[in-house]
Order: sequence, then C-alpha cells, then structure tokens
Amino acid sequence: MEMKDRKEQELSYPCLATETFTEEETVAPPSSFLRDVVTAYRRNRLAMAGAVIVLILFLVAIFVPWLTPYDPYAIDLEVMTEPPSWAHWLGTDQFGRDLLTRILYGTRISLVIGIVPTLLSMIIGTTLGLIGGYYGGKTDMIIMRLCDIVLAFPSLLLAMVVMYTLGATLVNIFIALAAVGWAGTARVVRSQVLSLKEKEFVEAARAVGVKNRVIMVRHILPNCLPALIVLFTLGIPGAILSEASLSFLGVGAQPPTPSWGLIVTSGKEYLFSAPWVAISPGLFILVTVLAFNFMGDGFRDALDPYMKQ
Amino acid sequence: MRKSRLFVVFSLSVLLAGILAAGAFAAEKVFTIAYNEEPQTSDMQMTTSCYMIPMNVYDRLIECVTTAPGKSALVPGLATKWEVSKDGKVYTFYLRKGVKFHNGEELTARDVVYTFDRMLDPKTKALNTDILDFVLGAKDRMEGKAASTAGLKALDRYTVQITLEKPFVPFLAIMASPQASILNEKFTKPLGNKYGLTAQATCGTGPFILKEWVLNDHHTMVANPNYFRGRPQIDKFVVKIVTDPETMRMLFESGEIDLFDCDFAMSQIPYFTAHPKWGKQTVSGPRVGIYYYTFNQAIKPFDNVKVRKAFQMAVDRKLILQKMFYNHGQLENGVMPKGLIHYNPNQEKIEYNPEKAKQLLAEAGYPNGVDMEIALVASTGSQWQKMSEIVQAMVAKAGFRVTLKQMDEAAFYATRKEGKLPMYTNKWSADFNDPDNFFYTFFGPKGTVARSYNNISPEVFAALEKGRSETDFAKRGKLYADLEKKIVIDQAAWLPMFSLKHIYVVQPRVKKFVVPWNGWSDFPIYETRVE
Amino acid sequence: MLKFILKRLLISIPILIGVTVIIFFLLNVVPGDPVALMMKEHISVDVVARVRAQMHLDDPAIVRYFRFLGGALRGDLGESYKLNRPVTSLILGAFPNTFILALCAALFAWIVGIPAGILSAVKKYSLPDNLFMGFSLLGVSMPVFWSALLFQYVFAVKLRWLPVAGFEGWKYVIMPAIVLGWSSAGIIARLTRSSLLEVMRNDYIRTARAKGLHELPVIFGHALKNSLLPVVTVMAIQVAGLLAGAVITESVFGIPGVGRIAVNAIQARDMPLLQGAVLFETTLVILGNLAADILYAFLDPRIKAA
Repeated sequence: MEMKDRKEQELSYPCLATETFTEEETVAPPSSFLRDVVTAYRRNRLAMAGAVIVLILFLVAIFVPWLTPYDPYAIDLEVMTEPPSWAHWLGTDQFGRDLLTRILYGTRISLVIGIVPTLLSMIIGTTLGLIGGYYGGKTDMIIMRLCDIVLAFPSLLLAMVVMYTLGATLVNIFIALAAVGWAGTARVVRSQVLSLKEKEFVEAARAVGVKNRVIMVRHILPNCLPALIVLFTLGIPGAILSEASLSFLGVGAQPPTPSWGLIVTSGKEYLFSAPWVAISPGLFILVTVLAFNFMGDGFRDALDPYMKQ
Repeated sequence: MRKSRLFVVFSLSVLLAGILAAGAFAAEKVFTIAYNEEPQTSDMQMTTSCYMIPMNVYDRLIECVTTAPGKSALVPGLATKWEVSKDGKVYTFYLRKGVKFHNGEELTARDVVYTFDRMLDPKTKALNTDILDFVLGAKDRMEGKAASTAGLKALDRYTVQITLEKPFVPFLAIMASPQASILNEKFTKPLGNKYGLTAQATCGTGPFILKEWVLNDHHTMVANPNYFRGRPQIDKFVVKIVTDPETMRMLFESGEIDLFDCDFAMSQIPYFTAHPKWGKQTVSGPRVGIYYYTFNQAIKPFDNVKVRKAFQMAVDRKLILQKMFYNHGQLENGVMPKGLIHYNPNQEKIEYNPEKAKQLLAEAGYPNGVDMEIALVASTGSQWQKMSEIVQAMVAKAGFRVTLKQMDEAAFYATRKEGKLPMYTNKWSADFNDPDNFFYTFFGPKGTVARSYNNISPEVFAALEKGRSETDFAKRGKLYADLEKKIVIDQAAWLPMFSLKHIYVVQPRVKKFVVPWNGWSDFPIYETRVE
Repeated sequence: MLKFILKRLLISIPILIGVTVIIFFLLNVVPGDPVALMMKEHISVDVVARVRAQMHLDDPAIVRYFRFLGGALRGDLGESYKLNRPVTSLILGAFPNTFILALCAALFAWIVGIPAGILSAVKKYSLPDNLFMGFSLLGVSMPVFWSALLFQYVFAVKLRWLPVAGFEGWKYVIMPAIVLGWSSAGIIARLTRSSLLEVMRNDYIRTARAKGLHELPVIFGHALKNSLLPVVTVMAIQVAGLLAGAVITESVFGIPGVGRIAVNAIQARDMPLLQGAVLFETTLVILGNLAADILYAFLDPRIKAA
C-alpha cells in the first residue's frame, strides 16, 4: 500500500518525487525548521535569483502607477508601433500605448493570475485530499475517481471548455484553471494523509477523543505544509502559462486588459514590422515563470529534510 | 541494317520522350496558397463560405468575370445564351455542346435539372437553398411534398427551362454565383451524401480537377487538359490549410506559398508596400463590400433612434480608415458600397461630431453616458478586435461606455440567430452584383432578426419586395436610393463604415493574378500564370 | 499481473464516461449552434431550422447524450457534424501525425532532461548545474506559441534551414518536436535529479563510496541504473501527455493532428467529433499510466519480490 501510494504521487507530480514528506523528521520544532529551510534555500543561487526577481515583480505590481507617466489604456493613434526610444523605452504598441507601461501594469494581472487560481486549486485539492485520505472508503473512492477524470483530461481542452461555458472574464480564468489544477494537489495531500494518519501522534490524539476535524486541521495539515509550499510555488508559473495559452486561443483575458498573454498574442502580427511588441512581453513571461520555477525548486530542496547533512 | 535502324528510331524516341518528360517535369507550374479554414467539402451546395474548390473545379451556366478592378460582367458559361420571358418568370438556357465532365460524361440539360433539384431535395441537407427560393415548386420540394421541382425542366438534350414563381430580377446574377455550380448526375447520384467528401468523390467541368485531399493539411488540384476554354496555364494548384495567420505570413516570407492575403495582417500593409522586395509585388483591387457596425434595437439603449444616431456621430470613421487601413478605401454612408449596381455616390453623409452625439445621448435620457457591449468572435488580434478597441476609446468621448465581449464563434452565431447579439462589426462582400444581396440580407424580415438588428419596419419590408421584382432599371435605382436614406439616416439602423481595397502580395514568379471583382478571398485562378 | 491490468481497465470505464459527461453537458450550457456556425454570414433561419431537425439537434440534451453513448458502446462514434465524415476515421487519420510529433518531442525532452538532471544531482549548485538546469527549465517557462513563433522566425524565415509549417517529411518534425519537447525537458530533469539524489543516499552507495570508489563510477555503475527507474516510468505517461498537449504546437506548425481536431471541434460545437477526440486522448493518457505502472512493476525488483 505504502509503496503504491508513493508511486502514485511520483507519477502524478514528478516534481515531488522524493521521500521527503513521508518521514518523521517533518514534525520538527518550527523555529529550527524555519532556520534550516532558509539556510538551505540560500545556498541555491538560482533559487535566490528567483526570489529576488519575484520580489521585484511584487514591488513593481504595487508601485507601478508611480513608475510610469503613461496610462496603460490611453490610445494614441499618432504614435502607433513606434520603435523603442527615450520617451517609450520598449516602444509603443499597435494602439500607440506605451508598451513598457502596459507590461508593468501586466505584472499585476500576471501575479494575480498566477496566485489566485493556484491558491484556489490548493484549497480545493487540500480539502478533498484531506477528507479522502482521512476517512477513506466510499468518500475516498469518489474523490479519487473525480481526480482520475480531471487528470486524464487534456487540461487545456478542459480549461477551454470551462471558459466557453462561463464566458471569458478574469474571474472565470481563475475558476477554469482551478477546475483543472486541484486534482494534482488532492492526490499528493491524500497520499501524505494516508501515511500520517497511522503515525503515533495522530493515534494519540484520536485516543484522547480529539475531533476528526481538529485532527485533520491541527495535526495532519501542518505536516503537509512543506509539500503544499512547493506545489504552490510550482503551480504559479503553470497558471501564468496556461493563461497565455488561453489568450492565444482567444478565451483568456479580455482586451484592453494588459495581460502579458494577450499582449503577446495581439502583437504577433507585428513580428516583422515591430518585433518589440511581440517579443518583450514574452520575455517578461519567460523571466517571471523561470523565477517562480527556480524558487519552487529551491523550496523543494530546502524542505527536503534529507538534505540537512 | 533494319535492326540497327529500328534501334536508332527506338533510342531516339526514348531520348525524345525523356527530354519531353524531363522538360514537362522541370517546368511543372505550381501555384501554392494558404487558406485559413478547412473547406470540409467540395460540394458547393453544402457550404456557404468555402468556394475556392467550387470556383476552380466547376462551372456555372453563366459566369461573372472581373473585367476591370471592381468591375464585373455576366458572360456565357456552360450556357452559350439565355432568354428571359417578358413577364420575367421563365428563363431558358441553351447549353454549350460537347462540354465534358472530369469523368468523361458530356454535360446535358438533365445534369442541370438534377443539380438544382438535388439542392432542393431535403435528403441533401443543402445549406444554399436560398438561391432557388423563387423557383416554382421549390417550397414543396424542400418540404418533401413533391418528388421533383415543378419549375425545373430539360426541354431537350441541351436546353434548360427554369420557371420562377414570381419575377426575381437578381436571378441571372445568382446563377453566376459559385453556389449555382453544375454537377454530373451520373457521377453524383450514387454517392449521395458522400459526394464531395474526398478528391475521388468530386467531379465538375471546370479548369481544374481535384486530385488529392488531406484533411486539415492541403488539397491539390491539377489542370484539366480537356477544359472547354482550353487547358489552364497552371499545372498544379495547391491549397495548404494554415489556421494561424502568422504562420501563413512566414510561409509567404520564406517562399513556401505564392500569395499572401493582407486581410490576415491589415497592419502589415505599410510594411509590405515599403519593403524593397514586396513593394513591387502588391496587387490590389476594390472590394464590392462594406464594413459596418450593427445596432440591436431589441437591446437598450439602441431601441432609441437618438442613441443610434449619437453612436453614428461618435465614431471617427475617417481616422480609423486612415490609421488602421492606411486610406486603402473610402468611407461609405449607405447600404450599397461602391462598385455595386445602383450605387448612389450622393447618399447623405454621416458626420463625425462627438459633441452633438453627447447632446443627442442626453436628449435620449442618458445625460451621464450609457453602458453598452460590442460582441467579438474570440480570436485575439483580428482586425475586428483592433477596430473595436479603437471604437471603444473613441465613443467614450460621447459618453458610450463600451465593454468588449469576446464570444466563441459558435456562441456568437447562435446568439445572433436568436436576434440577441449586442452590437458587432463585420463586412459583407457581394455574392452577386445586385443591391438585393445587401438590402434583403440585412434588412429583410428574417435577416433583420437573424442578424440581430431587429429593425422591424413594414415599409422597408414592402419596398424590398418591390425591389426584387421591379424590372425597370431607373425606377429600381430610385427605389434603392430612397430605401438607403430611410434605413441609414432616418432609422439609423446600422453604421456603415467603409469599403476597402483587397490587397494581396504575390511572389515575383506569379503573373496576372486577378483580384476578384467583389474582393472575395476565394477566386478562380484560370487566368493566373506562374513562371 | 493480468488481474491487475484487467482491474485497471475496468476502473477506466467510469473515467471515460465521466469525461464525456463533463464535456457534453458543459458545452450544452453555452449557446452554440453547429448549423448556424456552418452558415456564418450566409445565415438563413429556415435552412438552419430544417437542417437542425434533420440532424436531430433539437432533441433534449440527455437524449442526444445517450444516443452518443449507445453508439460509442457499440464502437460507433458517429459522424462529425461539420466534416460529415465518420469520427473514427478522422481521428485515426490524424493520430499518426500527433504520435510522431509526441514521440520526437519526448525524445528531445529526454536527451536534454536526463543529462541535465544527472549533472545537477552530481554537481549540485555548481555552474554547470545552474546552466543545464536553467536551460531545461527555460523550455517550461515559455508560452509554446511564443517560442514556436521565434523558432519559425529565426530558423525558417531568416536562416531558411527548416520549413515554416506543414507535415511532409522529417524536416517538418524538427522544430515542433523541439518546441514541444523542450517544454517538458525541465520536468524530466527535475525527476532525474531528485531520483538520483534519493538513490545516492542509500546505504549501498554510501558503502561503495566508503570503499573509496571514485564518484563517477559510483554514479554510473550503481546509482544511475536505479535512479532512472521512475524516470523511465514517467516517460510512458509523458508521451501520452504530449499527445494530448500538442494542441497549440499543432496549430502553429500546421500539423493535422488530433489536438487540432479537438480544438476545432470545440469551436464548431461538433459534439460527435469532440467526444471522439476527447475519448481518444483520455484513453491514451490512461493507457500511458497503465504502461508506466506495468513498466515500474517489471523493472523494480522490490515489487517483483512482493
């Protein structure tokens, strides 16, 4: 049983394929745990670079109105697709809007699109995974079959169908991506719960009559946290890219929203005549997604207690 | 001696054949284009939009040829001549003798009757029955009440008579549209609904024979050596299916296709015209077609004529034409675009006046502006989306707060059919050269709902009916000019934008590419040459 | 073993039905009329009404669903609304293209990912590690349509080394396979790395090291063999995943594959074709998972012993 579950976890989430979270060491005093994680994380240069970039992105997202004199929505047909200049560092787009301004405002959209759906799918996935793993039996069976369906589905198609059904708005992108993304989390959490619920501290809590819900939230959930952090960090870049794909298919963010995916897609036409319109937002996506990926990898390493030598 | 002479003759002929074969092979003239949609069928009765195959594989009784940019004429096709009875109801077509289908059968009057009867046969599930609506007995045939169509008759082997229920002036022009292509009875009948689904299940009389068809990839047509007007100059016509416009563009830039339709990248017109290589290679022709925005009178605030007028005045059409389409066209103020019969150049102009628009909006009860939607087919980066983004910003000055609503194509057309689609934009190019093709399409009793205008106006409907049967040319012209003013100025039922040139870029080896008179993206390539 | 396979196949039936139910009823909520779409600008309400009736499109959704299910159980997926051709032949016709693409993409992913993973595990946080890991993660970090566009621009238009799009020979496979494969090279690299690290912590490796063996022979002689186990099993899943995930690559590179069929079918509300395509892709993913499990059991001596 143990064997099979671990395998399942590996196969559905290759990024988590270590024995990390099924071992006793995860129940460590928080202060040293945190210190160890930070120390381990800081040794990874790529992960540090990722963290710095992400920090900058957040700062940009917050302070963008003070960073640029332009309005991301103001159309000026007199300066359409102008090449980069002192006035417009990355040039202007097909409507004469300052491209850099739109991209900088786009960090807000991208971060939100990265974080909100991932968070949503973590919440759904964790809840269902906890319930399924803890109670087992029929409940577990139904949840797992639902997971199977979602995981077997070509995810982009499912997201597309959900977008068609709900209509293309920002909120619906969250729903569509969460609808596709929760199953992976649910599986990982479930397999953690399965091994944790046999552990002594859980048995003990149950023996003294602690309620099931409390056991799940107080005792089991915190031990799933390292896995969840890694899943979360690595889920963000996935969501950002998915939104770009949906925009490419015409069911992502709506114009004139300055979403990076949308800017790239509508700038493609200018690849020959004004390449900056198509290339620069793509570079921003690349750097952002890469940064989150590095961070995720860094967390995974740092949270792997076996690496504490 | 004899032996050696034989040998010489033999080897010479082999050599000659070799040279001929090599010559023919090396000089094979191939014309390759990209098309953004899989045509699904070569059966023109089953499609309303993809006519590239029908226009090159089939012929019509009458052909509409491009005589000069934007000009067309009806010329004999499979029929060498035709007569129309005095009452305008009976059409007699005299067929060209000796025309052979690709399967070797000779074209006869029976084939013509079969073709049109097949279209009306409910078993065919044809999509183009509209063009035969006026034929006597068409309705009974479509509803399955009759086994044949009363108005279709083969008088003898080479004479066809078509009787209409009532006079319908555009009928001849319609007979020249690709939907009215002629099929071979003997070939088509046994195939039933499988006709036109493969290259092997396709047979016409046209200059090209459909040879190979790989779905979603490409189809190939080859020259018909027995074409009645003479073998075409191009040996092979390849149509690649490429859905992504940028991919199409790159195929062109790298020389893999011979033609690029600038409709797929309007913004790139200045790039092409200024380009050292492509600058000389652009070919353009006027489009007998009109760009427009609709008003749905069933959705507030456009139930109010003042709001519609305000919107008309709030859009700076000239600026859009200039900035987005680089002035390759002209503003239109009516329903009929330039190039159409009865086109009225003196139609009252729609002015750009945001101040007045704001005032009208206030008079209509919206002093603080009003919210509205523009629906778009979800396809990021299209000219429609760009134009609507500009319009969105423009009309804001007059107080219209526009939300762009992207819908997927299927939802868009389904909602529109119900008459519930908010404002949208599109273009219409003439199927045949007659005002009816514009007026009736948009403002007829069914069209006005099915296209989400809901301009329910009995006067307009009555005038439209009258126009269809008015045989006096001058009277008909006056009728449409008046109707145009009523619809655009008095009722403000739509916002005409402009008519644009259709611009193509061709590879230097392509000669004599003719932009079709109506500006369609589907065209016959019989006249085109490649080096 | 056989019992295990049979059981897994049985479990997959409700999954397949679930997938079709979700697609069918989700798309039924949205307005969308395949016939109106076929007619587009040349809409005629009379024609639409007549053809819809003939295609039984006006029946209640549930009736239409069970008609589909009944047919599917008998092995008949029906005819595409839009293309008027049998769904099965359309999908089987497109499958080889998608399969070749997915296989080549997977090959590329392994060629890049496995060495990157090994290097990264052996020389943790070194410059080569950072470089290789960075490179393999680069692919996961780009929108596929964007990288595809740049590839086409550079290698086809500017350098003219490769054709822009189409699917007529090996030259046409290279770019799409790299673009698609690169996007999963990072996953392979991560997996290889963590798997190798895990194995290297095991006692027998420690023993080997303790015996004074050099690092490299230890890695290639002992660790690698065992650590590639999960990597190999993931490959089967990955090929299946790439088959289903090639939608955008196929569309940008003009490859007539199953992914494009599926997207076109959603857009056209061509339910028979969409259901067929989704069933097909889902089946592939399930079979890929099954193959991975069998492979795992086959390769892992611990499981065999048990």
